[in-house]
Amino acid sequence: MAAPMELSCWGGGWGLPSVHTESLIVMAYARFSGAPLRVSAVDHSWSAPQGDVPVLISEDAVIAQPAKILNYLRKQKYNADYELSAKQGADTLAYIALLEEKLLPAILHTFWVEAENYCSVTKPWYASRIPFPLRLYLPGKMSRKALNRILLMRGEPPLYRLNDVEAQIYRDAKECLNLLSNRLGTSQFFFGNTPTTLDAFVFGFLAPLYKVHFPKVQLQEHLKQLHNLCRFCDDILSGYFRLSVTGFSPAGQDTVDANLQKLTQLVNKESNLIEKMDDNLRKSPQHPPRKLTTLKLSAAGEESSLLTRLSPC
Amino acid sequence: MSLVAEALVSQIAAAEPWPENAALYQQMKEEQILLSDNASSLAVQAFLQMCSLPVQVVCRPNAEYMSPSGKVPFIHVGNQVVSELGPIVQFVKAKGHSLSDGLDEVQKAEMKAYMELVNNMLLTAELYLQWCDDATVEEITHPRYGSPYPWPLNRILAYQKQWEVRRKMKAIGWAGKSLEQVLEDVDQCCQALSQRLGTQPYFFNKLPTELDALVFGHLFTILTTQLTSDELSEKVKNYSNLVAFCRRIEQQYFEGRDKDSSSTSRFSKGPLLR
Repeated sequence: MAAPMELSCWGGGWGLPSVHTESLIVMAYARFSGAPLRVSAVDHSWSAPQGDVPVLISEDAVIAQPAKILNYLRKQKYNADYELSAKQGADTLAYIALLEEKLLPAILHTFWVEAENYCSVTKPWYASRIPFPLRLYLPGKMSRKALNRILLMRGEPPLYRLNDVEAQIYRDAKECLNLLSNRLGTSQFFFGNTPTTLDAFVFGFLAPLYKVHFPKVQLQEHLKQLHNLCRFCDDILSGYFRLSVTGFSPAGQDTVDANLQKLTQLVNKESNLIEKMDDNLRKSPQHPPRKLTTLKLSAAGEESSLLTRLSPC
Repeated sequence: MSLVAEALVSQIAAAEPWPENAALYQQMKEEQILLSDNASSLAVQAFLQMCSLPVQVVCRPNAEYMSPSGKVPFIHVGNQVVSELGPIVQFVKAKGHSLSDGLDEVQKAEMKAYMELVNNMLLTAELYLQWCDDATVEEITHPRYGSPYPWPLNRILAYQKQWEVRRKMKAIGWAGKSLEQVLEDVDQCCQALSQRLGTQPYFFNKLPTELDALVFGHLFTILTTQLTSDELSEKVKNYSNLVAFCRRIEQQYFEGRDKDSSSTSRFSKGPLLR
């Protein structure tokens, strides 16, 4: 009964199913709601879409933009928000607005405008997935679009210079992360124990920031201090995307199958959580376990800041 | 503004009490001000009223160019000039007046989120309507925006502003929306606000916060402004608790004030809201 739906989106890296916020939102929502999607990453062939990504292609429609895709999935009875009250639905809308207004400019800046990040990470990554002549042009265009958006959203008369805008957007983004961390508290997801639309959005915004290795990491460092948000990203990655290593769910899968899969994932996640709690209990005075590379990075950072603090000025 | 400068400003601000002659600047009420600016100005007025801080509203044709951020309203307090609701809330807080101190961390996050919802949806929809809807642009926006200036300056400035707003709409992906879609978004936003408010007097029960001031500013302006069609205000009128909410704040913070004060800020639109 389920028509095969295909999602074209930017591919993954750094342990993420996709490094692109909007693609990640749709993928996470599809996993949460059990919608069977065949995911095809944009590759360097001409047939792959290069413009608006992600795109959902089903029998009767081609849909771009995450909000519209999510609406379409809801109409197909893949709804992750069944259990939410009307007020929680309203909250979802409000927090998505918060993400878009306060966090998005800083994420765009980190990926597309910060010169060092753009040249050594973002540009090579995207260029390697775009066919030859376009790869010389498209990343630059995406970068200019991001810069333009930041300046138009925030570049009011006193803040004409990019430096001033930068300070402002990073301050806003850090405040936004703190607010999200406070809102999440110790619960597993934003509305109790099952993930919803809001969780898909927050995950889509945070995970790339959390996982991608950038040379300039001021926002990433702030995020890594908010342990509950990091735990939130890790939980979703391990609970809902573990199967992605072996490939995405096949097309035309029954909803029954999808539900079963969801259930096993839930169980996996629970056991994961228990493991993690044990771990945390054992090492409670120390920092929670991090990945090796980041550990190295942060250790080096701490050392140097310690040195500067100790050195007589 | 750099962090140091900001810290300095807040220290200076904290040192001085709120003066009697504080002033709020906006464009001319009758013939010039546009929907979105009026909403923002009203939100700040409501906020200052809720803090019981007296302010005199001064209307100037060139208020937009007087403002440090190019946006109205701005307040002139002592020797400080601060514009827009967010910075004004910070500034007033530095002087020791705050409406949101009683909230816990989660409520504060919620308040900020809903304020962004209003900015993201209602404010953008107002800007869309007045600068991208051709009928409104022709009949209302251009004549009003250009009213203080002689020809051809009135046309030039209005087109310049229109170009600027349309570029912004394009960047945030609203340029391709139709008026119906925008009204749909407004409806969705009002529905969310209505659900959140429920039967409480204010968004966080008994006491008003800056969120209440912001929502009041926008909804009251939408309800009481005559546009080319009633579509926008009809969307708000569908939610009776929001209309009652606006009336309540109007009665509590604006009506009493008109009688006993000689300030120039007369809130003359009262009878429109029935």
